[in-house]
Amino acid sequence: MSEAAILTEGLSKSFGAQAAVSALSLKIQTGAVYGFLGRNGAGKTTTMRMLLGLVRPTRGSARVLGLDPAKEPELLRILERVGFVPQRKQLYGWATPAELVRMNKAYFPSWSDDAAAGVAKRLEIPMKMPFKKLSIGNQSKVALLLALAQGADILILDEPTAGLDPVMVDEILRTLIEDHISQGRTIFVSSHHLGEVEQICDWVGVLEEGRLLLESRLEEIRQEFRLVIASGEGLPVATSPNLVSATTDGRFRRYVVTREAERFAAELRGQGATILEVSPLGLRELFLHLVRKEDPCTPGNAGAKAAPVSSFS
Amino acid sequence: MYAWKCWRESRARFIFLLIMFTVTALLFTLGPGLGERNGWWYFDRSEYLSNPWSTGHMVFSMILGVLWCSGFLSAVFLGATASGSEIEPGTIEYLWTRPRTRTSVTWTHWGVCVAEMVIVAVVPLYLAAALLGTLTRHWNSSGQVISELLIAPWVMLIVGLPLLGLTTLMTALRRSASGGLIYTSGVVIVYALLRQIIIVPLHLNPPTLFTGPLVWLVNNNQFGASPIAFPWGALWRAVFLAAALPLAAQYLLKRAEV
Repeated sequence: MSEAAILTEGLSKSFGAQAAVSALSLKIQTGAVYGFLGRNGAGKTTTMRMLLGLVRPTRGSARVLGLDPAKEPELLRILERVGFVPQRKQLYGWATPAELVRMNKAYFPSWSDDAAAGVAKRLEIPMKMPFKKLSIGNQSKVALLLALAQGADILILDEPTAGLDPVMVDEILRTLIEDHISQGRTIFVSSHHLGEVEQICDWVGVLEEGRLLLESRLEEIRQEFRLVIASGEGLPVATSPNLVSATTDGRFRRYVVTREAERFAAELRGQGATILEVSPLGLRELFLHLVRKEDPCTPGNAGAKAAPVSSFS
Repeated sequence: MYAWKCWRESRARFIFLLIMFTVTALLFTLGPGLGERNGWWYFDRSEYLSNPWSTGHMVFSMILGVLWCSGFLSAVFLGATASGSEIEPGTIEYLWTRPRTRTSVTWTHWGVCVAEMVIVAVVPLYLAAALLGTLTRHWNSSGQVISELLIAPWVMLIVGLPLLGLTTLMTALRRSASGGLIYTSGVVIVYALLRQIIIVPLHLNPPTLFTGPLVWLVNNNQFGASPIAFPWGALWRAVFLAAALPLAAQYLLKRAEV
């Protein structure tokens, strides 16, 4: 693999006493499509902003395309090569998308008019209407168009499909796959739509309260992660190094394990448990198991913690 | 391209100010000749031809009496479109992720505002001067008035620049256009009140901070007023503040996180 497109080491950001991101170490290879998952307020947006120089880290360092966003001359070179779609897709209300395209074009040497026209046509963007009069969905599409036509080496997308209907989401994902992923460009995307992430990403990172809970290839998640449901008295909370999380649901205990799920199940059987199910885990189920701290169905389970970082990198 | 964006965002304010000041200056210039007869307006040029100096002087005094604040008004209204005003509505994320330094963004906006302020100050007064010279047909007789009319916009501009810097700074500090306008007005009002508190009860007469050239221009054009020396100290203070306040805004914006 070539040099990392995005690299962070112990990256931290605090707002007063509140830690938004804690000691985050990411390594996103060039050409990877990295899904950055987490609940609201987990620190995804702050991380992306630190990569673009909008927020200064409290501790740690970040490198984007080998350049340091904390240094202004290097930041300018990063911004020339990184397309960004922010969470709040707020652009100048008085400007039409056509004017925004003209304005943006002047900033980027690798801007492509053909790409802009192609995306505008494919996403059915009304180019002559002022931005403030566009629907939220169309505003999101304009923000995407500006990032996609920029000819960027890296796309940083913060919830790019928020507010879009399923047809448009599908069209955007197709555009991303055809125009960017197929050309080996790097995409760093945060989203709450796990189905989308599964569709386009090859890497996934899960952030919770500013800490990276999990970083793994999506393929490995599909192959390695298993849900083990057991019943019985006095079952252990955590015994195996492969255990990611354990939650109680009434009389049952649900374990999420990586690798050797059968051996883990056998260990539980040895402790008197009845194994009800050992099944593969989808991204959605894994995410819910990782970030859910307490099961609302079982008051007795309050405080059961998600597992610490389990990284394959 | 950012200059175009600045122009596009401030052009409505610019056109409004330009029309307002130009119409005012032209009305005052034509005022001495305008009359009403049988319900119709008519224009009589005899006043301009018979008393060119006194008519010119009266016109200039009236124009200055109203337009002395044009530099301040343009500075405040145009300055409130500075990049700091984009933080609250959220467009700053777009702006600051373009490959341009925040310094260049701040000074490009400043440059566009200064250009607009020059036009807003120069056009009304130079039009008035040209009209006055034409109407009196005696450029020499009204020469002093016309030369003062030609100097006046630059004096208004110089004393307006510190306020442009103050508005840029307050906009960066409050992170919104309305916050910038309110805080600039607040600072100006508090300064004026403090000055009055010092002048009236204490019977002191401290020099003006930076408006001296404007005071000089207005005083020198009152009938019977004895000429006063040009306040060079106030001029230098105006130049210093015109540079220092936008620099402070630049520093603030460079360190800002969004």
